[in-house]
Amino acid sequence: MDKLSGGEKAASSRLNRWVDPSFTELPGESFAVSRRRKAVSSKAEVKKPRKRAGEAGSLQPPTPSLLRECAHRDQDESWVDRYSPRSQAELAVHKKKIEEVENWIKVHTNTSKGGVLLLTGPSGCGKTATVKVLSLELDLRVQEWTNPSNQEPYSSSQQEWRTNGLSFTSQLTQFQDFLLRANKYKCLKMVGDGGATDRKFILVEDFPNQFYRQPGSLHDILRRFVKTSRCPLVFIVSDSLSGDSSSRCLFPKEIQEELDIGSISFNPVAPTTMMKVLTRISTLEAGKSAGRMCVPDLAVLETLCSGSSGDVRSAINSLQFSSLPDTSLEKGLLRKDRHGTTLGKAVSRTNQRKKRSKQKKDQEEEQAIGGKDASLFLFRALGKILHCKRGKQEDAEVVECPPGPPLPSHLSHHHREALLVDPEYVVERSHMSGEFFSLYLHQNYLDFFSEVEDVDRASEYLSDADLLNSDWTSRSTMGYYGSSVATRGLLHSNSQQVSVGFRPLHKPNWLLVNKKHRENGLAAQSLFRSFCLTPLSLQTELLPYLAKLTNPLRNQAQIAFIQDVGHMSLRRLPGRLKLEALTDKEPAQPEGDSEEEEEQKVESQGGVEEGLPESQPQPRTSQDLLEEEELLIEDYNSD
Amino acid sequence: MSLWVDKYRPTSLGKLDYHKTQATQLKNLVQCGDFPHLLVYGPSGAGKKTRIMCLLRELYGAGVEKLRIEHQTIVAPSKKKIEINTIASNYHLEVNPSDAGNQDRVVIQELIKTVAQSQQIQSSTQREFKVVLLTEVDRLTKDAQHALRRTMEKYMSTCRLILCSTSTSKVIGPIRSRCLAIRVPLPSTEEVCNVLTSICKKEGLLLPPELAKNISEKSGRNLRKALLMCEACRVQQYPFSADQDVPETDWEVYLRETANAIVSQQSPQRLLEVRARLYELLTHCIPPDIIMKGLVTELLSNCDGQLKTEVAQMAAYYEHRLQLGNKAIYHLEAFTAKFMAIYKKFMEDGLDAMMF
Repeated sequence: MDKLSGGEKAASSRLNRWVDPSFTELPGESFAVSRRRKAVSSKAEVKKPRKRAGEAGSLQPPTPSLLRECAHRDQDESWVDRYSPRSQAELAVHKKKIEEVENWIKVHTNTSKGGVLLLTGPSGCGKTATVKVLSLELDLRVQEWTNPSNQEPYSSSQQEWRTNGLSFTSQLTQFQDFLLRANKYKCLKMVGDGGATDRKFILVEDFPNQFYRQPGSLHDILRRFVKTSRCPLVFIVSDSLSGDSSSRCLFPKEIQEELDIGSISFNPVAPTTMMKVLTRISTLEAGKSAGRMCVPDLAVLETLCSGSSGDVRSAINSLQFSSLPDTSLEKGLLRKDRHGTTLGKAVSRTNQRKKRSKQKKDQEEEQAIGGKDASLFLFRALGKILHCKRGKQEDAEVVECPPGPPLPSHLSHHHREALLVDPEYVVERSHMSGEFFSLYLHQNYLDFFSEVEDVDRASEYLSDADLLNSDWTSRSTMGYYGSSVATRGLLHSNSQQVSVGFRPLHKPNWLLVNKKHRENGLAAQSLFRSFCLTPLSLQTELLPYLAKLTNPLRNQAQIAFIQDVGHMSLRRLPGRLKLEALTDKEPAQPEGDSEEEEEQKVESQGGVEEGLPESQPQPRTSQDLLEEEELLIEDYNSD
Repeated sequence: MSLWVDKYRPTSLGKLDYHKTQATQLKNLVQCGDFPHLLVYGPSGAGKKTRIMCLLRELYGAGVEKLRIEHQTIVAPSKKKIEINTIASNYHLEVNPSDAGNQDRVVIQELIKTVAQSQQIQSSTQREFKVVLLTEVDRLTKDAQHALRRTMEKYMSTCRLILCSTSTSKVIGPIRSRCLAIRVPLPSTEEVCNVLTSICKKEGLLLPPELAKNISEKSGRNLRKALLMCEACRVQQYPFSADQDVPETDWEVYLRETANAIVSQQSPQRLLEVRARLYELLTHCIPPDIIMKGLVTELLSNCDGQLKTEVAQMAAYYEHRLQLGNKAIYHLEAFTAKFMAIYKKFMEDGLDAMMF
């Protein structure tokens, strides 16, 4: 596979030079590649921290003999690699966070009992960099799992491994072996290692695919690992905004609690820190290139910074791209263009780029380069609406249109300062249907209001929004209007914005309540069918009185149901509904808007669960896992 | 031991306790062995079902009381399976089509077709038609009602329909005109008292007339409710005392407390508490419209005359939205908030008026 892609790249490099693979002319190239291959084939990549990075050419300061090469490589090598942080000071992560991780690692490497740590955060916020830097500074070995690619192509080797007695092992088993070995055995002492310590930790960033389908198998492996663990294990999972967050699916709360998994969540990189990093890199580069490179000015950096929404990696990448030496690249491309070669995309991009450098960055356009889709976590999206930030009169930076003529006197009480956020934009960025977003708003808006009159208006708008959404035939078009009415209504009716501090947000109860309402109704119907009553009189008359009577009921289910539904305890507060707090990183729940959809979902889920055992390998029981483990150890000894 | 409601349900037209002239009219109606489609309507607990069963017994004899509960699966043209429970004897079939929700049209067409297409075997000894009893007709969708209109005519020879509903306002005109409408009004307070006393006598209990009157008033002349209340009284305390409390259902008490909470304080925090209580009611299977109705009744009793019209108008407004909308809680809450706002303003105005 490597060979193939290498060949492709070589071929394409003949066409246009700027997509050259970065490693073609490196002195350490062959070594690095061979190392990578080795790593791939040996499943477990045991490496001295930062060794490879050092070899791969980011020597700082460059020795004179390498200087020429460095200069040559400048436009090829990605700056993300070159300027990867090497000390805590260079990390674009908050000090407290680093400290937190550091403490955890210190505590857990010094004891013989390992632990499990889960690092979460959006992509490009420095999770991996932090771990690497810390391993360097604390002088620890990192043993990292990489997913093995298939060694043997299917067609040729099938016979071979039958004759040779080789057997195919699944990724899952390999992962398990890896964990076992990494946990049990120390690293081999190599000559070149110097005085490397024995202390190490295991890093897993790359999960075997099977785990996404069956998180249960990961949990089993982890349970066993925790029982026997000697060295700490660090998982790095990126948050995703879509509904199936991998961190939630792989490490649900129960498992985290059961296995005592430490969890540290990273925030997106703060703009100031990001600016620091970007300016550092650009000044370093500018110094190195000695004027041949167009150095982006501060404003460009700022746009890059805001466009990347806290993703350092993408910010650096787009910085590199935007400061590509215009002269050589543009000339070359333009000449080719004149010759008639069509390099449509590249040319148009450079043109765009040129235009931009001339007429100083239009925000929208800059986002076309490496700009990240700025999406919001639900928590933040809700906060934007509920906290209702409005501009001051003198504040020029308002999103809404500039103030028109003042409202006539009889409408003056409707006057509001311009909004700082665009509600439709927020809803769109929240990756949720408007209807569902309104439910979240409805659950939480009361905390942010102080006047009943305002609440009255807000609730009326919510009711309007529901009305707009109610007809399923027009829901697809009306949905937007519905959410618009709900969000804007809430914003507008909150006339006396009190500066509330932090308020916990909650998940909507309605879905649960509605489900329960329906389920209980159906259960009542089926359990008390013999009374031949309409649902209405059954629910409001018969059941409550049955709860008061000593009438012997026919079966246990009926009794339980009466106990549950018929009785309403008057004294205690309604405690049936626990408010489920919404944590700041949580993606939206899977939606169940209409009843039918929900039912179908339930059905399909049931079907999947039933269907699973046949199509998927069954999670094995702990006993045969143990047996296998013993076997493996023998195997190893004989080697 | 079954409930008194079931135990002492009259089984023939002659044994009915009240509306005796109507009973004789019904008897005359089926005298000749045939009858038109019927639309029986009246408030809940008035005795519609009882009368219908008596009528069927008059027609078919005691065989109609051997009921069996069947679980039927009907496949809609869209291949969706609809499951519905029916109660049937050899001669009739009772079904509540609104159980099927939006698919009630299919239920009506398919069920009636299957019933109507099977001829009675011994038509010499029996009637040559079967009876299909549809309950809660007023909850049928418009679709289903129009389908019903056609079906009624088509299978007139083999099948009679008895429709049972609480009001005719939601039944479309064509159906009303095809049926003989029979209204079953609520029994008067005295009639309820009489029924209660006679049943207590049969149980060997002594019911003080004051308590009987109290129960019948509290029950709103709903006989089923009255009997259930009476039985609950018996559980609560026997021998009866004339002034004992008549037990109310938990949800009614809960709803009243909710209304009191609304009246006693008007603030967003209170609304949050009220919302939790509404959710609690909903999880206990109380339909949203009943909650709305109960809430309005309780709130109105706390209002001044001036406010009453306004509150009632708002209630109507939000009740309408409740029917149109999707998520009941929005509208229930909006109503509560509205009431809070109006009530607060009213109280503040009142205070101001007192001051000056």
